Amino acid sequence: MPPTSNKTPNALLHGALDALILKTLTRGPSHGYAVARYIEETTGDAFLIEDGSLYPALYRLERKGWVEAEWGTSELGRRAKLYRLTPAGRAQLAAEVATWKRFSAGVSKVFAT
Amino acid sequence: MKRSLRSWLWRVPLDQEFDEEIALHIEMRTRELIAEGMAPADARATAIKKMGDLASLKYECVDLGRKRDREMRVTLWLEELRDDVRFAIRQLAGAPAFTMVATLTLALGIGANSAIFALVDATLLRPLPYGDADQLVTIWETSSATPRGFASPPNMLDWKSRSRTFETMAGYTPSMGSMVMSGRDGNALTVSRQWVTSGIFDVLGVKPIAGRTFSPDDEAQRRRSVVISEGLWDTRFDRDPSIVGGELKLDGELWTVVGVMPRNFEILGRTSMWAMRPFPPNMPPRARASYQLQVVGRMKPGVAVEAARADLAAVAEGLSREYPEFNKGRTVTLEPLHDTMVGSDLKTTSMLFLGVVGFVLLICCANVANLLLARATARSRELAVRSALGAGRRRIIRQLLTESVVLSIIGGAFGIAVGAAILQVAPVLIPDGLLPAAVTLSFDMRVVAFCAAAALLVGAVFGIAPAFHATAMAPTEAMGADSRTTTGGGGRLRSLLVVGEVATAVLLLFGAGLLLRTLIAVQSYDRGYRADNVLTMLVDPLGSAYPPPVKQQQFYDQVEAEVRAVPGVADVGWSSGLPLGESVFGEYPFHFEVVGDAPLDEAQKPTTSYQIVSATYFSTLELPIVAGRGFDSRDVNGSPRVLIVNEAFAKSLAPRNPIGLRVSVRAVDSPNAEPVTLEIVGVAKQVKQRPDEAADFVQMYTPLLQDPIGDIHLLVKANTGRAEALTAAVRAAISRIDKDQLVSVSSITTLEDVEWAATGRHRFRATMVAAFAALAVVLAMVGVFGILAYSVQQRVRDFGVRRALGATTGDVLRLVVGSAIKVIAAGAVIGLVLSAAFGRLISTMLFGVQLLDLLTFALVTIVLGVTAALSIAGPAWRAARIDPAQALRTK
Repeated sequence: MPPTSNKTPNALLHGALDALILKTLTRGPSHGYAVARYIEETTGDAFLIEDGSLYPALYRLERKGWVEAEWGTSELGRRAKLYRLTPAGRAQLAAEVATWKRFSAGVSKVFAT
Repeated sequence: MKRSLRSWLWRVPLDQEFDEEIALHIEMRTRELIAEGMAPADARATAIKKMGDLASLKYECVDLGRKRDREMRVTLWLEELRDDVRFAIRQLAGAPAFTMVATLTLALGIGANSAIFALVDATLLRPLPYGDADQLVTIWETSSATPRGFASPPNMLDWKSRSRTFETMAGYTPSMGSMVMSGRDGNALTVSRQWVTSGIFDVLGVKPIAGRTFSPDDEAQRRRSVVISEGLWDTRFDRDPSIVGGELKLDGELWTVVGVMPRNFEILGRTSMWAMRPFPPNMPPRARASYQLQVVGRMKPGVAVEAARADLAAVAEGLSREYPEFNKGRTVTLEPLHDTMVGSDLKTTSMLFLGVVGFVLLICCANVANLLLARATARSRELAVRSALGAGRRRIIRQLLTESVVLSIIGGAFGIAVGAAILQVAPVLIPDGLLPAAVTLSFDMRVVAFCAAAALLVGAVFGIAPAFHATAMAPTEAMGADSRTTTGGGGRLRSLLVVGEVATAVLLLFGAGLLLRTLIAVQSYDRGYRADNVLTMLVDPLGSAYPPPVKQQQFYDQVEAEVRAVPGVADVGWSSGLPLGESVFGEYPFHFEVVGDAPLDEAQKPTTSYQIVSATYFSTLELPIVAGRGFDSRDVNGSPRVLIVNEAFAKSLAPRNPIGLRVSVRAVDSPNAEPVTLEIVGVAKQVKQRPDEAADFVQMYTPLLQDPIGDIHLLVKANTGRAEALTAAVRAAISRIDKDQLVSVSSITTLEDVEWAATGRHRFRATMVAAFAALAVVLAMVGVFGILAYSVQQRVRDFGVRRALGATTGDVLRLVVGSAIKVIAAGAVIGLVLSAAFGRLISTMLFGVQLLDLLTFALVTIVLGVTAALSIAGPAWRAARIDPAQALRTK
């Protein structure tokens, strides 16, 4: 048996993580660590993920064609792999956001009663 | 930019890509933790811990990355293919004349090939429509006189019980007979019938579509049982299921219908029903000398023909020791059933056609390659531009190959239509009896698959040379060059292709010429008799109604008198066989020896074929008696037995005068029969037994009155006009005699039709090959026309300059015609040399013509000359009309 990660997030978390990464990349191309930092900073403690689980998500998004990779330079002056949002990724993000808004509006309505 | 970025990324191995990424992440995280005040060692440990299980992470990511790369490559390839195909279609649409000519050429080539493939597939490739057909063999009983003889029933039963390599065995009578079936509506009908032994359907592995097959009980009880064909069930009984198990009145007796066999089940011939002939184990010893069965055996799984042959030979050896008086010197020979059904004649014909259409397809390929070469030269600038813009040579070759494959796929699609059309009309052309009954021609998925494969292969073959040629030039050279000057290498290659085309066309023409000469030879030889206006039919008075020969003869006499009275009838005769046609007892040779000569060994005795005729046979066919007398009123039952021999027979007795000699004759296959002694009273003119027989065959005639037989051909000569017109009147005359409808009349035809059928195979081969050769010549001349027209177009300015410098129209014409003649002459010489070499392959199909036939050589040359003149005329005329002033202004 090859080693496999048993810490994959559940489907909801999966989708949410993907959407967060896409959203993060709207600010411009970034390397994995920058994405992780930004998610940490903006979500605070609400969305605690293991650093590692970010990378399979990035690879998955690249395979789907929503992000693409290129070599750039990191803040340390070293070669760094940068991820960039593709037009397809932008469209996907819009769809996810719309779904999320519909979902949260529905939930909010329930809580408001 | 995106593309180059990708390829740059790909140069980093995936795991290194991941390692670098993770290292950077840990490094950055560590720095961040230190900045927050953690000790460096702790910071690093925490950073690594935060990543989780690195090994499984790496595995997952590298795996994802690998999948991504693979998908990307496939997508890229498909995108390129889609672009190429789209571009190819645009290119083809932009040159409609080229596309049409090329598509038409390919459609003809692929269509002709698919039709012939259907024939070859049906006859040579596909197994027979029986279960496990590979295990089926035909078993012949052989003697020194008959290398492929029929088996006697007791011998077959012993082979079956004593052999170890066979699962089962059964037999059938090789020739069809017929039975008179009394209809429910009161009209009798003649139906064809084949005798079979009880196990035949199990051996062949076919299941009835209704009812059952013959059971051992049927045989033990000697029940009269028949299995009918689906065709008869359809046409006569409207697929009434109640007929199964019911009874039919056949030849005046009641037979039980036990089952119905599917339409495609036919054993070596087409028949409406199979009647069981029971063979009990306790047959009388003489039955061993009754050679009547064609035997089929099913070998046990895994047994090879060789092993079965050895096994059966040992069994036959034992039988010849046990029954020396019948079986001495007799053994067996085996061949796969497929070989028996698909005779060598059909096999060679199929191979001939396959070779011929293969050559036609080659010519098609050469033509299209030629067109492509010309286009590639014209497009060299476009290709150079693409190459300069960064397209690699491989990429451009791929693009050009895509174009040719797209072209050939379009051609192949039309080819399927052409092939289907050919197969629609083909059955009319195929002579009766050439295709075995178990073989049907059909245009099915296999043929379509063949078309598809042929189209792809052809597209690659004719596309490769032009693609490489077009990309061989350096871009700077091509772009700088004026298109008029870029004819060098391509021109030579094109000329070579056309030389090849002409050579192939000449080869096919020559073959067609030889086959046509053969056809003329078999149609125009001296038959020895006159066949015009003779109607013939097979008359079979039934045994039960006309049992004794005397009564049978009375019937013949009455019919003859009645038919003679029909207006328009000139003469009436009877015969057991028809010249060039069938004999009622098949090929049934007799040994003969002159009484008083020293006895000869069995194997050395000469043989003769044997025909029973009425006295009027010779006058009906206007067949002259060249010596002695014909049969007359002296030669009746009870008077001394006489015979008439043919010229070849008489020659074998030379220098003795044959008239008055007494000969003793006995059937070759019945060594125990009592020989019969007859006196030669006349010599008849030689007739042919087969249209293409190599040597004159030896034949004897005996008078019907002394040699009564059960079924016989009636021959009616008409006074004037067509013999068919008499058919109704003659049938009515027979019915007036046969009031109880107990006489079967079948095989109504004319002697001319019999002859037409006898030469059918030669005609089929000659017309098919001639048609393909004509197609080949047309295609080759299109090729000649193509290069000429192209070169004239390319050299307009050159000719203009020559005219301006004083060259006459004649000089220009000489230039154009001279180059064409060089190509055609080279092709013709190569083709004739090939013909001389390849002619040997079809020598078995030729008759009455030499392989190196001068007349054929001459005819081929004339046909080539005329067609060449036609193809040269257009371009030459154009070249001659070039106006120097205008030509020099053209670009």
